[in-house]
Amino acid sequence: MANLTGKKWRPYLWLLPSIVLIAVFVVYPILIVFRLSFSEISKAGIVGDFIGFRNYSDAVSLPAFKTVMRNTLWWVLSVVGLSTLFGFIIALVINQRFHGRKIVRAILIFPWATSLVIQASVWNYIIKYEYGNLNNLLLNLGIIRQAINWRSSYQVEFVWECAVGIFVTVPFVTFCVLSGLQSIDSSLYEAATMDGAGFWSKLWNITLPLVRPSLTVSTVLNIIYVFNSFPIVYTMTKGAPANKTDTMITFLYMLSFYDRKKGPATALSVIGFLILCLCAGAYMFFVMRKEEEG
Amino acid sequence: MKKTLALALALVMALGLAACGGGSTPAATQAPAATAAPAATQAPAATEAPKAEEAPAEASDGGDSITLDVIICQYGPNTNDWFLGKGMNGTNFVDKFESENPGVKLNLEVVSWNDVYTVVDTRIANNNAPDILNIDVFANYANEGLLLPVKDYCPDDLLNDFFPSFIDQSVIDGTVWAVPDLASARALFYNVDMLEEVGVEVPSTWAELQDVSQAILDYYDGEVYPWGIDMTTDEGQAAFAYYTWGNGGGFVDDNGDWAVNSDENVEAIEYAISLVSDGFTNPNPATQTRYDLQDMFAAGKLAMVIAPNQLPTYVSDKGGNINMATAALPANEGKTGSSVGVMDRVMAFKDDSAPDQAARNEAIGKFLKFFYDPENYVGWVSMEGFLPAVNSAVAALVASDDSFAAWLNVLDSCQFYPTAKAEWDQVKQGVIAAEQNALAGGDVRSELDALQAQLMG
Repeated sequence: MANLTGKKWRPYLWLLPSIVLIAVFVVYPILIVFRLSFSEISKAGIVGDFIGFRNYSDAVSLPAFKTVMRNTLWWVLSVVGLSTLFGFIIALVINQRFHGRKIVRAILIFPWATSLVIQASVWNYIIKYEYGNLNNLLLNLGIIRQAINWRSSYQVEFVWECAVGIFVTVPFVTFCVLSGLQSIDSSLYEAATMDGAGFWSKLWNITLPLVRPSLTVSTVLNIIYVFNSFPIVYTMTKGAPANKTDTMITFLYMLSFYDRKKGPATALSVIGFLILCLCAGAYMFFVMRKEEEG
Repeated sequence: MKKTLALALALVMALGLAACGGGSTPAATQAPAATAAPAATQAPAATEAPKAEEAPAEASDGGDSITLDVIICQYGPNTNDWFLGKGMNGTNFVDKFESENPGVKLNLEVVSWNDVYTVVDTRIANNNAPDILNIDVFANYANEGLLLPVKDYCPDDLLNDFFPSFIDQSVIDGTVWAVPDLASARALFYNVDMLEEVGVEVPSTWAELQDVSQAILDYYDGEVYPWGIDMTTDEGQAAFAYYTWGNGGGFVDDNGDWAVNSDENVEAIEYAISLVSDGFTNPNPATQTRYDLQDMFAAGKLAMVIAPNQLPTYVSDKGGNINMATAALPANEGKTGSSVGVMDRVMAFKDDSAPDQAARNEAIGKFLKFFYDPENYVGWVSMEGFLPAVNSAVAALVASDDSFAAWLNVLDSCQFYPTAKAEWDQVKQGVIAAEQNALAGGDVRSELDALQAQLMG
């Protein structure tokens, strides 16, 4: 009996170090941020009295709040949505047998393996008006006669940020989907072909249902990662002009360390955290229910 | 049950990842928020980990030794070497100080400007403020009762050595809370060859500036920007100062009260925005920083730019070979332009836990005496091309470099940001936002009115 009990508890013993680490480095800081969001915080960072929801009301009444939330929504939807679409298509392509497939896979991983700050800085140079690579290339090829200002307005700059976000996220989705594709038994496709199924029919009835677990993982992780992504926006525009290209993460950083409104910044980070939990939880719930039904 | 467990696990994962926030897209979870800051014109931040981060400020080191925690900002590639490497004639500041001041140890950290606010705020929040801090702002720390008055630790002879106009910038309610460590002044730099080729004189008024800009634009067929403007979050407040001071306006009125929406200011910012919309400037002033402008100037893509006195060094470091000269900032007709002085400071934090306050104050005084000793200070100021803050260094600096004399005259006549006022952070960000909104099509007057209303409310 004692032996059995030991066996029962043994897994938890092995998990203990991880649990302790998560508790100390994840759960405890989260609790501290929650506490801070209900406290008065001075400009120099000194934590004062409990002030209820005032930090939250201050945060949502900031003039830039609506713009920032709208930007964040577009940022997450476009980067996660389009990188999932492109990643899926590329995975389908590189899952085929062709010469140089390994090289293509290796190249594909570059954007993912490079630091985001470097990527964003490089893209800054590429689209620079004065001596940017893109203008130089197009001028030398004779495609354009005059340099184009690729950052002519903040709307365009935000689109560039999203484009860079998509560019660096696609490889992650591709490799997630690819791992799912490679686990599909080829006999399924052979049987479907025998039954006269076409490309779309096989894609819809075999590929998609079987890579769904991989897509679920990549989408949930992407929602979290992209929502929390800081370097691209900060490196390319710092949210300028006047927070019009900020997402929530860059906005709360600027709010805290430039505007020195630390209370509202903490409240915003809690709001972001709750939004993420809600999105990730709802998505998982929805997908898992479908899987069970399926 | 399995579903619930999976959901719970997924949420824990989400919690964990979200908490690691500030991260990034999947590509690079390794880039934490603060270090991801781009404009890293200097070497990476705290390359020198503090030797004893956990050591209490007043650690006892066998006897009566006092250890001072010092944070110094990284002004350039030489700062680290000067304080901690071998940049001080084969030795460094810390070693030399400790050998000359037995009984006082320095736990000195060089932090990049990108990170210093985060580092200091975090330390204050954790009750671990440095003993001595070198930074630009001081009012928040003073207003919250965190600083020691300068008279408590700074010897009188040293205090009298600072330029009085500099010391005045660090006074709140009659008390001096910080001392200047160095300064820089801004002037209009222009490409002499370019202006000669076009056949124009350097402008001294706003109207002349428009004419000269039009001439340069026409002559080079748009290949050269006549005028540089930086309205980024880095330095947009400087742009506000250049134009409003050149129109008799400014951040404050004659009584020292906030007056950001004065008629003079509105006219000045509308003028600056018109330079952009007329195509006389770099195309993206909201995202092109002073360093971008300096790069363009060094590459011969920009004819005129307002820049600090270190620009010639910056240009030659970049491999540029520009025949440049300086002039006063252009002002509106009938108004006098004023140069902008930028000053950083050294301040000491209170530490109620220190067992012997008098000994601690004395140790801080020793640090300052050593820092401003002409033998050390002249090397430090000239190393990064800054201007001095104490009289005793002037003679030696002028002897070493003639151009210092001219810059010291500029420094004598320039104005400073009202950093001693508690709302300065808000005003700084507010005028930058107003400028950026105006660049995006907003109305200058209503932007500045809104900011003034916030300040009054």
